[in-house]
Amino acid sequence: MKKADKVAYDKDYAASKKNGKPFFPYAIYKDTIIAGLAILVVIVLAITVRVEMGEPVNPASTDFLPRPDWYFYFAFELLKIFANQNALTPVIMATFMVPNILIILLVIWPFIDRGPERRIWKRPFAMGTAVLVISGLCYLTFLGASTPEGIAKGETLPLTGLDAAASAGEAVYLANGCSSCHMIKGVGAPGPGPELTNEGAKGWDNAKMVQWMKVPVAPMPSFASLPPEDLENLSTFLNGLGTKYK
Amino acid sequence: MTTKDIGPKNPVEQGVTQVVDFVDERSGVKNSGRWLMFRNIPAGTSWFQTLGFTAMALFGMQAITGIILAMYYKPDPNTAFGSIAHITNEVTWGWMVRGMHKWGASAMIVIVFLHMGRVFIWGAYKYPRELTWVTGAMLLMMTMFMGLTGYLLVWDQKAYWATVVAVNIFASAPILGPYIGDILRAGPEFGPDTLSRFYSIHMLLIPGGIATFIGLHLYFIIRLGISEPPWAKRALRVQRDEEDARRKAARNRDAGLKGSVSFPPAVVTDGQEVSR
Ligand code: HEC
Ligand code: HEM
Repeated sequence: MKKADKVAYDKDYAASKKNGKPFFPYAIYKDTIIAGLAILVVIVLAITVRVEMGEPVNPASTDFLPRPDWYFYFAFELLKIFANQNALTPVIMATFMVPNILIILLVIWPFIDRGPERRIWKRPFAMGTAVLVISGLCYLTFLGASTPEGIAKGETLPLTGLDAAASAGEAVYLANGCSSCHMIKGVGAPGPGPELTNEGAKGWDNAKMVQWMKVPVAPMPSFASLPPEDLENLSTFLNGLGTKYK
Repeated sequence: MTTKDIGPKNPVEQGVTQVVDFVDERSGVKNSGRWLMFRNIPAGTSWFQTLGFTAMALFGMQAITGIILAMYYKPDPNTAFGSIAHITNEVTWGWMVRGMHKWGASAMIVIVFLHMGRVFIWGAYKYPRELTWVTGAMLLMMTMFMGLTGYLLVWDQKAYWATVVAVNIFASAPILGPYIGDILRAGPEFGPDTLSRFYSIHMLLIPGGIATFIGLHLYFIIRLGISEPPWAKRALRVQRDEEDARRKAARNRDAGLKGSVSFPPAVVTDGQEVSR
């Protein structure tokens, strides 16, 4: 804003304040009503939709669903967009670049949009940004809420040609919630991890796969706590996907 | 007949007055309180301007329910889940307090986003309120971080693994990431200290930060005054400039019309002139 605009704004605002009304009671009565309503809604929800107990933590892990609370769904979905990473969209884009750019834009926004105009329909750029961000956040949250949480208990993968070791590996895969981040032949969540249907095509040996399970790249959690034979079977299973087991 | 003001006769009222006067003499609360409450705000403030106060009220509710939960909660991997079950199933009204805290978290996030939306759509972040916005942005991030750290405390599978993933994401950031990961986890791995660290962050560090920044936020709001709705009746300068420009253009057009089209015919058809 230019100096003249600032002076004009200050003068205008001083005038409106002079002809204004006292905070008490004219603003505070509205504040109290809306805040009271909000707290009432919370109490009603607490009574009607009771909080439940989940399953206690077991770091050695059985089936789990790494799902954040709903207000982080958008971040989780953002991760999925970058799931099948390539040179243009590495995972670091979703875990670091995009969130930080958004945060910086949020903080410095008033220093970007500095014009004196305040009327809603005279600020097409700001309103365009608002529509884009709001619909984006709503859409991603909706996506997060409506994607299946991995696969149902008892469901198996549509694979053929599994030998004993691979079947054991499949069981480990299913029991450890891998399918809440990975998809194999259309079963499981489409992200944030890449699809594993053709994992065998990479030609890794078991030692390399076991090492990956112990020290993966974030956001995939480490599975170093699994028993060695489980890791071995899991690796046999993964390294044959798309080649031996289809 | 002259009357002498000897104050209230009721001894209770008198006592209260004396205490208030004692405090006021030393702190000046009466004046500043009066100034705070009866300061003028623009006449046309709208219902949309209640959302900040509502966020504040919800923060207060979270603080109160949180204090009650902390009386029963045990931040230890072996006992945390059990203490939550105790609160939910055994403590009188425990389910209610926990439910309010859980729903209150969601409600606070919704309200803070709505509040930010109204500030954005109104352009209320413009001069002179840029720093109000910046402190607000900090509040938004701290509110989100409250959700993240609180989620782990129930110590169930879903929350545990979601938090493992979230911390992994922080830890994967370049340069500072590994240090942030270590700080959050209290070490290179999720361990017994991780839970108490999250507890401390959730109930001491961030609430302290939020309280501080609400203070700063309010300081700016009270100092600068709450903005007028963009549809306020009293036009701002940009509008007046526009109107001036419009009037000027209209004047020019009229003048132009007279000069080129309407003026000469006026001479011709001027009956008085012609008939004379
Ligand atoms: C929180 C989500 C998540 C979970 C749970 C998870 N992963 Fe991953 N996984 C990922 C992500 C993200 C990547 C990509 C990491 C990268 O390369 O940057 C990945 C990568 C992989 C890869 C390498 C894929 C490739 O082609 O590069 C394999 C193999 C893998 N995961 C197997 C597993 C197995 C087996 C499990 C279960 C024991 C599992 N994952 C659980 C998120 C997850
Ligand atoms: C814990 C969260 C927050 C609390 C408790 C809070 C509280 C308040 C209160 C009480 C007001 C007074 C007017 C009103 O209610 O609208 C206000 C105004 C304001 N808030 Fe917030 N706020 C929060 C978050 C935010 C966020 C996330 C932003 C934006 C990034 C923000 C930016 C502003 C601005 C710019 C104003 C001045 C608006 C004006 O003068 O019209 N606040 N806030």
